[in-house]
Amino acid sequence: MNTLTDLAIPITMGIMLGGLYALVALGLSIVFGVMRLINVAHGDLVLLGSYLAFSIMTYLGLDPILSLVIGIPGLFFIGFFMQKYLLNRAFTISMEAPLIIAFGISIVLQNLFQIVWTPLSRGLTTSYTLKSFVMGDLHLPLVYLLDFFVGIIVMISLHQFLHKTYLGKAIVAASQDRGAAQLMGINTKQVYAFAFAIAMVFAAIAGVFLGLTFPFTPQSGVSFLIIAFGVVVLGGLGSVTGTFIGGLVMGLAQTLGGYFLGTSAQMLIAYLIVIILLATRPQGLFGR
Amino acid sequence: MGIAISRSRANLISAIVVIVALSLLPVISVPQTWVLYLFLFLTYVTLANMWNLLAGYCGLISLCQPAFIGLAGYTLAIFAWVGLPFYLGVVAGAFVAAVFAVLISIPVFRLRGIYFAIGTIVLPEILRILFLMWRPVGGVMYGKGAGYPVKGATSISASEIYWLTLIIGIGSILVMRYILRSNLGLALATIRDNEGTAASSGINVFKLKLYSFVISAFITGLAGAAFYISQGFIEPTSAFSVQWTMTLMLATVIGGISIEHGPIVGSVVVVILHFLLARYSGFSMLIQGIILTFIMLVAPNGILGTLRKTPPSWSLLTMLQVSPKSQRPRNRGMFEP
Repeated sequence: MNTLTDLAIPITMGIMLGGLYALVALGLSIVFGVMRLINVAHGDLVLLGSYLAFSIMTYLGLDPILSLVIGIPGLFFIGFFMQKYLLNRAFTISMEAPLIIAFGISIVLQNLFQIVWTPLSRGLTTSYTLKSFVMGDLHLPLVYLLDFFVGIIVMISLHQFLHKTYLGKAIVAASQDRGAAQLMGINTKQVYAFAFAIAMVFAAIAGVFLGLTFPFTPQSGVSFLIIAFGVVVLGGLGSVTGTFIGGLVMGLAQTLGGYFLGTSAQMLIAYLIVIILLATRPQGLFGR
Repeated sequence: MGIAISRSRANLISAIVVIVALSLLPVISVPQTWVLYLFLFLTYVTLANMWNLLAGYCGLISLCQPAFIGLAGYTLAIFAWVGLPFYLGVVAGAFVAAVFAVLISIPVFRLRGIYFAIGTIVLPEILRILFLMWRPVGGVMYGKGAGYPVKGATSISASEIYWLTLIIGIGSILVMRYILRSNLGLALATIRDNEGTAASSGINVFKLKLYSFVISAFITGLAGAAFYISQGFIEPTSAFSVQWTMTLMLATVIGGISIEHGPIVGSVVVVILHFLLARYSGFSMLIQGIILTFIMLVAPNGILGTLRKTPPSWSLLTMLQVSPKSQRPRNRGMFEP
């Protein structure tokens, strides 16, 4: 009985974390789906969202979630111009150019974080970060519940956006067949820029909730990237349910890994899942 | 034809002169910092050469080179700890890196292009976590995590490590030269240009990529182990650091990716850059990242690639322009896998 309740905590926490991880992965999934680019800088861009919220919280005293009012447009424009002036051009150079450029951006961001925010571990601490809620016999951190619901809300709104709006449909069209989309009068370069910008909006939201859930350092970007990649590989592309299930698996891997191996190794199982998955089913569990 | 022969002979002679000059440097007591920067240069040349082999010639953008460096460094540290000779440790480190490359080739070789890159970025992270937890050799060392001094590294003089690195660096250049002029190089060029066609014309794509991957891991391991003799201390965070990838990628991209001598030229620039940026250590990586992005956008073929496009007017440039591409037509041997 005792071990059962012991296990119940990491399992529930893992499931809730799944919502957050699905959210982290959405941006990567959009960029990959539309431009066939695995954005190696995605983790660092999520982290940029966390750091922006941190600065806004410290200097303006704004709540991290409210700070998204500034953070979302900020990352939207960063994403838009990054695609428009750096990556769109890189796509015309060679296969490896966008990847190497994304890697360069990742290094630049990491070192920028280190210079601006120092290598210290930071966290978004608010009045509700330490609060917990009761579910049955379990006391669970409130932030995890928040993560879960935000993940679901964002995923549903993305689904609606992609299927209901013109821009969303254009993004889907460009991802399915670039040439045909161009023939239908879609400016694919512009659509790419918007797709990247929207991916950055998700990065901003994910960054804030990650910051509320975990402490972060300038080097945290790589682990976010690998988690997001794991979710995308697990869930396959274009499937909202798949992404959600991928998120759950990565969340559970982390909490159960932390439970059995200790916090220093909590990411180990999640990383190993990525490698094993690549070895066995590179097209993803729900891959087309 | 006569000109070609005399040019290649001139190249050979100038190469020998450079090698002799480089190996005599520590003896004629030049400043210690020169030897240090040349040591760095040779290490970078080796690492960048081996990355160029993968990224430039096999289409494998490997982000797991730090895994090879770190594993070799740790093997060396363990060997030194047990009391085995250093040179054995260096070779053993390279073997461990090569075996690791064989093992991980099973999952990562199922991936193409960009997938491969992200598959390999996970590996140094896994190793870093494992080495932070695991203590390969007993004894209480520095705090938590497996930071180890390389026992007895101080007994080896800087000149000796320099010569070792010189041998490894020249070795890596010769290996590249040999590979690119062999059937393996021809086959790799075919794979890079069109993998499907290569496979359908009887090239065993998997096997050749694996060969290159293992060769790259082995020589990267040699350079990594030699580096940690000079460092005298190894710990997981820096051993498996993404900074290694950054440095070798920058050296290759600056000089010219897919160009045989690109890494050599690029490493000169990177070492000068490190020298100039040494005072601003906080900003060093930031500036390097900006340079990498900028060069990839503006001159994606690097220094040599850009020079090659403009008509060669200096004799030095024509000397540098011995490219595998211009050699390719001469190599008409039937392909045997």
